[in-house]
Amino acid sequence: MLHRRIQQFVLVYFLGILALLLVKYLLNLSDYVIPSPVEIWQTCRTVFARYVISVLDTLWIAIVGHMISIALAFLVGIVGRPNSWFGSLIKAAAYNIQAYPIVAVAPIIFILIGDGLITRLLIAVLICYFPLLLSVIGILSEPVDSIEHFYVATKRMNWRLQVRIRAYENISKLITVIAGGGTMAVVGTIVAEFIAADAGIGYSIRTALYQSDLSKILTALFLIGIGTSLYLTALEWVGNVIQKRLVSSKATPDK
Amino acid sequence: MQIECLDISYQYPQTDIYVFDHLNCRLTGPGFHALFGQSGMGKTTLARMIAGELTGYSGLIQSSEISKVLYTHNMERFPGWAGIGELMASTTPASGRDRLNAMVNAFGIQSVMNARFSQLSLGQKNRANLIRYLIQEFDLLIMDESLANVDETTRGRIIINLKTLYPEKSFLYISHNMMEIAKFCKQIVVLRSPGKHPPAQVISGRNLMREDDLVIKELEQTMLEIVHAS
Repeated sequence: MLHRRIQQFVLVYFLGILALLLVKYLLNLSDYVIPSPVEIWQTCRTVFARYVISVLDTLWIAIVGHMISIALAFLVGIVGRPNSWFGSLIKAAAYNIQAYPIVAVAPIIFILIGDGLITRLLIAVLICYFPLLLSVIGILSEPVDSIEHFYVATKRMNWRLQVRIRAYENISKLITVIAGGGTMAVVGTIVAEFIAADAGIGYSIRTALYQSDLSKILTALFLIGIGTSLYLTALEWVGNVIQKRLVSSKATPDK
Repeated sequence: MQIECLDISYQYPQTDIYVFDHLNCRLTGPGFHALFGQSGMGKTTLARMIAGELTGYSGLIQSSEISKVLYTHNMERFPGWAGIGELMASTTPASGRDRLNAMVNAFGIQSVMNARFSQLSLGQKNRANLIRYLIQEFDLLIMDESLANVDETTRGRIIINLKTLYPEKSFLYISHNMMEIAKFCKQIVVLRSPGKHPPAQVISGRNLMREDDLVIKELEQTMLEIVHAS
């Protein structure tokens, strides 16, 4: 899984670099606009170790933000799952708030609480929370009548059992949504660092942008891609383990 | 025990089609009763009304000596996170614990009690689902095609078992198998084709307690009555 994902990323990345160099040589652009392959390589060697640390710094914020988003989405999803007035209010609020681009809201957070760890974390959480919430609330508010009927008819249904049934029946969807949220958490953290931070790979990209150093940006993009691939693969692996454990049989039936 | 449907009319939401138009019928006494009719005549709809799962109809459904009605259908599933034995045990009331093992043996699913529901054959699924209802407290159990996909011999054996084990309870069995309901059921509510009046007719079945008691001529007579009614 990891091997294939990284292979695909590296292929896309180098195709991108190739396209850039093609533009450079076709339009005869200077090294200042698009650096030469040699310059990209030299810059990469110079900043590689520092950027690896920055990417790790970004990744851990993204992971923490992602976990907070998952917990929050499940908490609000469970509370908002009944077809009640409160449930529909939560759904409407989530849809409306999601309509605002968080990137546009991010500067307000920066103005209010300044730059630093909390700002990065908050923006990362906000970017992946609402899509996660909408999916989780959609899944948890959809009855599984064929299973739930017995428990309702015999008055054994409670909220824990209901959530368990619905989550179990939609486990693949939930895992896909959570893995998708991982990408958004990484993007959110980088955006936050770009706007309001003094650390992380987003901050490094901002610095490189001010220096008009495309080589550094390309190196950062490469490392972000590798880091995100690693995180997504880890998420998918955990998801697969959970799925396998849930569906594995205890015994073989004698039919 | 008595269930009486008085002047029931019902149309599906946002349609002009009446499923029932002034329907009246009455079932009396405990035992194995049936609800029969062609597909689309409203058997499941009436069953859900009796079970209290469907409202919005006009008329009245009144019952006496029935406080707990359960409705089960053949599309129900067990959760997939545990074996059916474990799940059944977790939903068995104290009063039904002794009966659980007897039912499992009588229904012939003891060898699959550790399996997940998805691993069972269709017939085993239906039997497992029926057992978990039978071990609950109930006065009337409505079985909506609950023995579908079970072979005829086993079905007959199960019905006779139910009649023997639950002589004081009432069952309302929905099936398309005319011979089976004619043989084993006490009273058969036939939901008639559109345009026929009255919309439902109650016919007495042979109510057999043993296959050996079958008199072919009587069975043919009952089946003929059902055909005429429907």
